[in-house]
Amino acid sequence: MSEDAGSNAVDRAYKAGKASEDPAPRAGKPLLELRGVTKLFGGLRAVSDVSFTVPEHRIFGLIGPNGAGKTTVFNLITGVYKSDEGTIHFGGTDLGPQKPSAIARLGVARTFQNIRLFGQLTVLENVLVACENTRKAHLGSALLRSALFYRDEEDMEKRALELLRIFDLHGMADETCTSLSYGNQRRLEIARAMMLSPRALLLDEPAAGMNYGEAEGLKKQIRWLRDHFEITVVLVEHNMQVVMGVCEEIHVLDHGETIAHGSPGEIRTHPKVLAAYLGEEVPDEPDGESVGAASGKSEGEVPA
Amino acid sequence: MGRGLKTIIGAVVLVAAVIGLEMGLEHILPDAAWRQVALFAMVNVVVALSLNVINGMAGQFSIGHAGFVGIGAYTAAIVASHLHQSLGGGEVTFAHSFIVMPAAIASAAVAAALFGVIVGLPSLRLRGDYLAIVTLGFAEIFRLVIATAQTGGTAQGAVGRFLASLGGQNGYAGTDGTGVPQYAGPFWIFGAVALGTIICWRLKFSGWGRALRALREDEIASAAVGVDPTSYKVTSFVIAAAGAGVAGALLASMRDGNPTVQPDQFSFMYSFDAITMVILGGSGSVSGAIVGGVFVTITVKLIEQLQGLESIQDLRTEYPSLDLNALRMVIYAGVLIGLMILRPEGLFGERELFKRGRRNAPGGGPGGPGGPGGERNAPPGGAEAALAEAAPTGVAVAAPSTGVAVAAPAGSE
Repeated sequence: MSEDAGSNAVDRAYKAGKASEDPAPRAGKPLLELRGVTKLFGGLRAVSDVSFTVPEHRIFGLIGPNGAGKTTVFNLITGVYKSDEGTIHFGGTDLGPQKPSAIARLGVARTFQNIRLFGQLTVLENVLVACENTRKAHLGSALLRSALFYRDEEDMEKRALELLRIFDLHGMADETCTSLSYGNQRRLEIARAMMLSPRALLLDEPAAGMNYGEAEGLKKQIRWLRDHFEITVVLVEHNMQVVMGVCEEIHVLDHGETIAHGSPGEIRTHPKVLAAYLGEEVPDEPDGESVGAASGKSEGEVPA
Repeated sequence: MGRGLKTIIGAVVLVAAVIGLEMGLEHILPDAAWRQVALFAMVNVVVALSLNVINGMAGQFSIGHAGFVGIGAYTAAIVASHLHQSLGGGEVTFAHSFIVMPAAIASAAVAAALFGVIVGLPSLRLRGDYLAIVTLGFAEIFRLVIATAQTGGTAQGAVGRFLASLGGQNGYAGTDGTGVPQYAGPFWIFGAVALGTIICWRLKFSGWGRALRALREDEIASAAVGVDPTSYKVTSFVIAAAGAGVAGALLASMRDGNPTVQPDQFSFMYSFDAITMVILGGSGSVSGAIVGGVFVTITVKLIEQLQGLESIQDLRTEYPSLDLNALRMVIYAGVLIGLMILRPEGLFGERELFKRGRRNAPGGGPGGPGGPGGERNAPPGGAEAALAEAAPTGVAVAAPSTGVAVAAPAGSE
């Protein structure tokens, strides 16, 4: 089996049923809509009246200083928390009454700020868990070991191995995931999320702990994922090199409230953002950032 | 094709083996006491296998497993003795066991599974210790309700009369009080062990078992990939309860065993024995549950045998306060403490006696991403790796990108 054939199999699996092969970012229909979302932790308004819309195929950044409520917004979208006010819609479905597992099945995949892998499972098994709900063979056929069970298992293993290959983890498929390096664990989390065949991928600080070179690689990977799998990416990130370099639209939170929304160029110069977040960092930034900043400007689309 | 043939051959060998044991166990173990130990060990293996599903694979700490064994035992005893009566009573024959045992086992499994749903549905929504408390409470309630309901009498309702008919503290000894018919010979008991092992093995090495183990590792992450924690936990709890019910059915009608089913058989101590079996063997390991079940049963029996030794008896007459039964717990505790220090994951950990290889093992010659079409399909992250010019194995390709990975603590929000 050649690399080529294998990759085409993945292509087919993911492209099936998808309308366009145009890799360029388009202004898609709204996929994820938050309206007036509020979350209280006791007396603390962790998220306060936040509204934004993420169109399809957009790389959307959610930024803000520590404690701004970015991860809380992720947890609200994925159903880990329930919002106290406001609504969250995904592809027209109200996520309010849905369980986290049901939201995942609707096509919202995520990674975690502090990596959450299944420690005692192998790398391959970690990825395979993510397709458990899509399998045709259920408990009964697993017990009877029907032909369907074996076919199912083989199909999924093949798909999982292709994903691992994409993320350069193919050679470690049978290792326990705790033995992986930090960077590999981060990539495994993304691979696992992609196994869900999601419509939206929520990345929570994927560049945390990465050096300059790795962050550059991550930027390319995010763009490639969006184009190749035609997904929407929502990114929570502190690393400005990554945020400004890859996001096409940015929403800024501070103390749970929205303070700005716009293209990277607009956010870069927004007075409130500068005051609340970037502060004195702006003058220090450009040297190492020139590549990222340039590509950010050339690729970033100015939203309405 | 080959797979189907192997299954058929395996099934034939298994059936031949259990029939052989049914006929030959009396010759292999002429001493009835040891036969009883052997059969009891096998019943305990079924208990350990079923507990392993919920405690080992799903990681939910249930400490009331004896309650489900008890429900199975009482249900099976009632069904078996009624069926025995309607078959005309008399001798317990191997032929009749094919009518009695399937009915007894099935009804015991269903009854225990029903109680599993009732106990599991509310408590498995909670986390961690709550399940332990609820299951412990359930098992004790079950035992005490049966143990204390012995008055009977006309003033009571149907439920009271039914409970009283179970014999209270003295135990249930069949419809006519002469004992539960002992239909479960080696055929049924060893057969149940074989079937239980296959079922547990297949559960573990299926997507379902994988999801269950993932759930044990991280509930939030497994929910985030579409695995509903509650439904998986309840399903595994019900499977474990049903398995315990089967073990109870075997225990109630075990040949050479106790012909009365008594509530004290299903005390807290038995639940703890079951947990010891699972932990000793290795949580999550099917082989471990089998080894643990046999080991615990034999240890207990050996200590009992030791008590019969002359020198020990002499010691006993010399020091009347010496309680040798308590020694069992001391040895237990010693073994457990030693195990926790030397092998905290149990004898087997989560591993099995036989390694199950993956069919499409890696290294089967996939080229590097530098091949034709690679540019389009390889992600840019791997693009740097592709500079390594179509390395022969995936490991080599992955190396450049892992080489630069610098672990650093994630910034906390």
